[in-house]
Amino acid sequence: MGNEVMSVLKKDYIYNLMLKGKRQDGRAFDKIRNIDLRTNVIEKAEGSAWIKLGETEVLVGVKLQVGSPFPDSPGEGVIITSMELNPIASPDFEAGPPKEGAIEMARVTDRGIRESGAIDLSKLCITEGEEVWIVFIDIHVLNNAGNIQDASSLGAIAALLTATVPVEREGRGEDMPIPVRDMPISVTLVDIGGEMMVDPDLNEETVCDSRITIVSNQDGSISGMQKSGDGALTEEKLLKAVSLACQKASELRETHLLNI
Amino acid sequence: MEREIVIPGQLLSENKTDSGPGTYVKDGNVYSLLYGVKNAKNKISVIPFSGKYIPSPGDYVIGTVIEVTPSNWIFDISSPYDGLLHVSEYPRRVDQDKMTEIMDFGGSALLRIKDVSSSMKVELTMRERGLRALNVGRIIEITPAKVPRVIGHGGSMVSLLKKETNCEIFVGQNGRIWIRGKDGEMDLLTEAIELIVKHSHKSGLTDRISLFLKGGDDVVSEKDEPFLKDDLAKDAEDECEIREETYRKVDALLEDDG
Amino acid sequence: MSDKPEKFIDENGLRLDGRRVNEMRPMKMEIGVLTRADGSCYLEWGKNKVLAAVYGPRELHPRRLQKSDSALIRYRYNMAAFSVEERIRPGPSRRSIEISKVSREAFEPVVMTHLYPGAVIDVFAEVLQADAGTRTAAINAASMALADAGIPMKGLVSACAVGKVDGQLVLDLDKPEDNYGDADIPMAMTSDGEITLLQMDGDVTQEEFKKAIEMCKEGCRQILEMQKETLKKKFTKLEEVEISDDEEEVDVSALVECTLASEEEVDDVSEDALGEGATGDDEDLEDSDIEEDLEDSDIDEDLEDSDIEEDLEDSDIEEDLEDSDMADEDAEGDEEDELEESFRNLEETDIPEDDKEKIV
Repeated sequence: MGNEVMSVLKKDYIYNLMLKGKRQDGRAFDKIRNIDLRTNVIEKAEGSAWIKLGETEVLVGVKLQVGSPFPDSPGEGVIITSMELNPIASPDFEAGPPKEGAIEMARVTDRGIRESGAIDLSKLCITEGEEVWIVFIDIHVLNNAGNIQDASSLGAIAALLTATVPVEREGRGEDMPIPVRDMPISVTLVDIGGEMMVDPDLNEETVCDSRITIVSNQDGSISGMQKSGDGALTEEKLLKAVSLACQKASELRETHLLNI
Repeated sequence: MEREIVIPGQLLSENKTDSGPGTYVKDGNVYSLLYGVKNAKNKISVIPFSGKYIPSPGDYVIGTVIEVTPSNWIFDISSPYDGLLHVSEYPRRVDQDKMTEIMDFGGSALLRIKDVSSSMKVELTMRERGLRALNVGRIIEITPAKVPRVIGHGGSMVSLLKKETNCEIFVGQNGRIWIRGKDGEMDLLTEAIELIVKHSHKSGLTDRISLFLKGGDDVVSEKDEPFLKDDLAKDAEDECEIREETYRKVDALLEDDG
Repeated sequence: MSDKPEKFIDENGLRLDGRRVNEMRPMKMEIGVLTRADGSCYLEWGKNKVLAAVYGPRELHPRRLQKSDSALIRYRYNMAAFSVEERIRPGPSRRSIEISKVSREAFEPVVMTHLYPGAVIDVFAEVLQADAGTRTAAINAASMALADAGIPMKGLVSACAVGKVDGQLVLDLDKPEDNYGDADIPMAMTSDGEITLLQMDGDVTQEEFKKAIEMCKEGCRQILEMQKETLKKKFTKLEEVEISDDEEEVDVSALVECTLASEEEVDDVSEDALGEGATGDDEDLEDSDIEEDLEDSDIDEDLEDSDIEEDLEDSDIEEDLEDSDMADEDAEGDEEDELEESFRNLEETDIPEDDKEKIV
């Protein structure tokens, strides 16, 4: 289906603008688009968040079910993160099983949460080796205007923060919040002729040939990274990106998550 | 009221001869096919608020090359249907192996629609004055339904935009607008076009845009409704004036060439 | 899950959620909510939350799916994994495939598909939260999204369901009524009451069915009113609508005068940009001839030009026959077309000098 062609004129325009240190929407290179985050929007889910990052819209729902643990971690709950790039979200998305891009983004989000130890999985164990809580994080992309990755990660952690473990529903005692210990936040940057730019919009994503996502935690440690796209990055740029991403993540945490 | 917002299926007239574009007749009555504004000038027509561009012979469009075949450039013309520019419709003779040197994937061009078959095969031409490949400038995209507003009555709006920004403009009927000028001027023009699209349903649009371009930034804000009231008649007058001016401009240009 | 309630309707004739038998759950909707889609609508109906978007008409690939005389409508009803109590696997199920099919067919009678041969109109309905009646909610939203996308339709489609609980017909089933009721009859209707979707499961008498249609009709009429209101208020809340006459059609001659005509002043630039070498001089020569002449002699001159153009085209065609994939079907028509065209474009015909030289 019609992958929209970007004309060379438009590409050049955006690229040249960026070379001059400007962005089409007037943002500074280190400025993230406006964020509108609403939680608990889906009553039927155990936790949910509807996030608007600029014009990008993502709805994240968290559901919990009782299931079996992985054999190698019998005393821990399980996290399963999936993402659907629904055709509703972009003329470029097609119906069908998730494509590599969706799987990549879901896994980056998943790793960020898992590796940061954001959720205390041992508290999600019901009977060791037999029954544990399985946390399903489903990311439903509604409108792709660029940087679905960061919208998804922020939405996922916000949804987790509001989620309840439905212990009562299963007749096993009292409901409890999901044991969230940290708030990993991903910040994505794209590389443009020597400068790194946070939170690329759709055009910027198209023009730049490589992007880097950095997931960082409250104490400034890094719990996930992904370089994506067919370009290459220098070490210097990478280090700069890391420090900027951690700083931005901390701002985002401050503004959007600490009050949940 | 002569003009009103109508929705698909709304009864517009009980006289089937009133049926114009955007309407259909059932049991002798005229109904709207579209969500848009009813226009009852001669016949009743409905101008949609949105919709895709559907190519029609004689239209001027801006295309982007999506494929180069041995004898055709295939253009995306922001429509469900791609356009074919046969190599013989290029103004000069082109060898097949040189086609990509002239226009390659992602390249843009000013084109005219030569023919549209019943199966919607769209043939383009560039054999007309002014039509050409575009290597400089910017392209702005708007919804095709707003194109008439950007052109204005008798070209009044386009003339105003050109005059006030010193940019070249080509308005494709498919909703793509090519502009060229100094960076700052193009920024201003882009903003002006965004305003036109946003305020396209308001009267006194030409005045508003004129004021905006002359630096009265907030005259186009949502709040200044009062300014509209007694404006209708004046607006009509102004448009006539500008139209005159357009003719003069065109005449002048023709003379310059001689 | 809770057990079946003992009674669905109390002695006052009120249902479990306090509604009367012919009363719908509250509904609200908004159009134009998604920036990427050509048309969109978000709709809440009771606890149902659905989002519908329309893309198109757009090009349809693969080609074998194309219908030569009309556009194809594709309708995708999809439930978010978290939209129901028990998480569901993402992706199509037998249920969602069936609903997609009948919903698409609910729109086939009203959408003017023949205006867009070979194209596709995609309708995507995402159920974000489900609480009985999602297919009808999705249809109501899709109908609005189609209007928002500027798709020509004979009218809006509205949908609701009638069911039977405690032996009584009720409008717009909620979740318990849906789960434990005796019948469920979802319907979709055009604005003049023609039924474009009808499903039914359960058990009703013919009499009851007749009454159910009437109830549905009334429900759809109320929904249609809300749909109308939503569409009409979108612009009126912003401003008085006043459209000047130029909205009617693109004034092509004005367009040419204001944009193309004045391109002459920059012709040289564009020629350079093409990297084709200088050709501007030749044109100047012609132009000045024209300028000196009166209008009518102008035409004479151009007539000659267009003769040349014809010759030129002919020889082009011969050459192209060898290598062009279009030549076969077009060559015959071309001569006539060119003739007609050159008359039509009397004032615009303009042949670069170097072309003439090559041909002669």
